[in-house]
Amino acid sequence: MAHLTGVAVTPFGKHPGRGPVDLMEEAALSALADAGLPREAVDGLVSGYATTYPHLMMGTVMAERLAIRPRHAHQAQVGGATGAVGIILARHLIAAGACRHVLVVGGENRLTGQSRDDAVKTLAGVGHPVHEVPLGASIPAYYALVAARHLHETGASEADLAELAVLMRRHAAAHPGAQLTKPITVADVMASKPIATPLKFLDCCPISDGAAAVIVSAEPLQGAAIRIAGWGEAHTHQHVSEMPDDLGLGAKLAAAQAFDTAGRSAADMRLLGLYDSFTATLAVFLEALGFAAPGRAGPAAHDGRFSREGRYPLNLHGGLMSYGHPGVAGFLAHVVEVVRQMRGEAGERQVADAPLAYCHADGGVFSSHAGFVLERTA
Amino acid sequence: MSGVAIQSCGACGRSWQFRRAACPACGSSSVAEAEAGGGGTVWSVTTVLRAPLPELDVPGGYGIALVTLDEGPRIMCRAEAGISIGDRVRVALGEDGLPRASRA
Ligand SMILES: [Zn+2]
Repeated sequence: MAHLTGVAVTPFGKHPGRGPVDLMEEAALSALADAGLPREAVDGLVSGYATTYPHLMMGTVMAERLAIRPRHAHQAQVGGATGAVGIILARHLIAAGACRHVLVVGGENRLTGQSRDDAVKTLAGVGHPVHEVPLGASIPAYYALVAARHLHETGASEADLAELAVLMRRHAAAHPGAQLTKPITVADVMASKPIATPLKFLDCCPISDGAAAVIVSAEPLQGAAIRIAGWGEAHTHQHVSEMPDDLGLGAKLAAAQAFDTAGRSAADMRLLGLYDSFTATLAVFLEALGFAAPGRAGPAAHDGRFSREGRYPLNLHGGLMSYGHPGVAGFLAHVVEVVRQMRGEAGERQVADAPLAYCHADGGVFSSHAGFVLERTA
Repeated sequence: MSGVAIQSCGACGRSWQFRRAACPACGSSSVAEAEAGGGGTVWSVTTVLRAPLPELDVPGGYGIALVTLDEGPRIMCRAEAGISIGDRVRVALGEDGLPRASRA
């Protein structure tokens, strides 16, 4: 039985002069301290990648840096879903009896380690090298195509999407590590400069430096016992040109498997950590997974459903959109926040009670989906 | 014809754009090269105002559309300004060899 026993996240934003390995080391050591584990107890390691440091063997780079000799070490690479897939892989290693304590870690100096143009260009390369990238498509353009289709199909408005950006900013204001904390309104989002219609600057997550780490263990350690009750993945396509007609299909498949293996339903959840690279990403997930009616994610956010006091508190650290997005660490920060909330350690951000949570991320353009149900058992 | 290369399956008739050794629908390796007729419908469209490369930045941005060809495949095209989801378009290769969608 796999448990999340240690979590850590650095502040997101600017960490000038610090590389991916420096940032990941900080998060890893901090997660070990959180678990109360000595370094040498780590016998499995799943590292993320870093676009600013495209090393072929990041897993063993991190093992060497941390001076550990794991029985399993490698690097996972499924875009924004990497952290989620890493945690599911850690669960499988533990279920197989191959490891007892697996470190999942990601971090990058994506903001200060390269120029903004380089960052945008590198990320655009997730598109098809012949049929998409040469057309001048970028990550925001790929997601804009999905966003435009989503608005067309559901009748939701750009202002509806903006509500999700406003919500993430409000949540980030309560976290000292968040990159963006200045309050924003729907009007601010609507007035921000267009990036790729219908997405505007404030519909997009920022680029950040930062790192996060999670320890997955065979048994609970100190503090509350948070077990991985269910897990699911779905890989429906890679390129937006070949995405299914149903924009939420991958999310639905992964979540259905996660809820099924957990013996739970979406309605059982009391806390959410959902990937929010763009407002439209979050809207598609909330609606595909049944947390909002089609086209109604924005109005539901406006009405408080995803607030700290609401039915489905969501990304209480501010998500990618406001806590920040340094690549692989972006979604791991969602997991860190969910675990802290489930343990009752979130201070002024604390929800009343959250015994069950669902976490979900996508990588590529809704390409690779991974989700898991967390359950507090003691 | 449009000049846009696609592939089609000799067994089930499915067509697609990305080069493959076997049909993504039925798995048959009876794959034939084909050329799209050029007719299609806009599935989604965006105007990109922040290009991924500085040399692509132009005033007013540029359009990118996903067009569902009449043969079935959904392909990415540069898009004429002002086209909307659901519009009928003609797709043809531009001088740069990239597919362009314009109002039919
Ligand atoms: Zn076929």
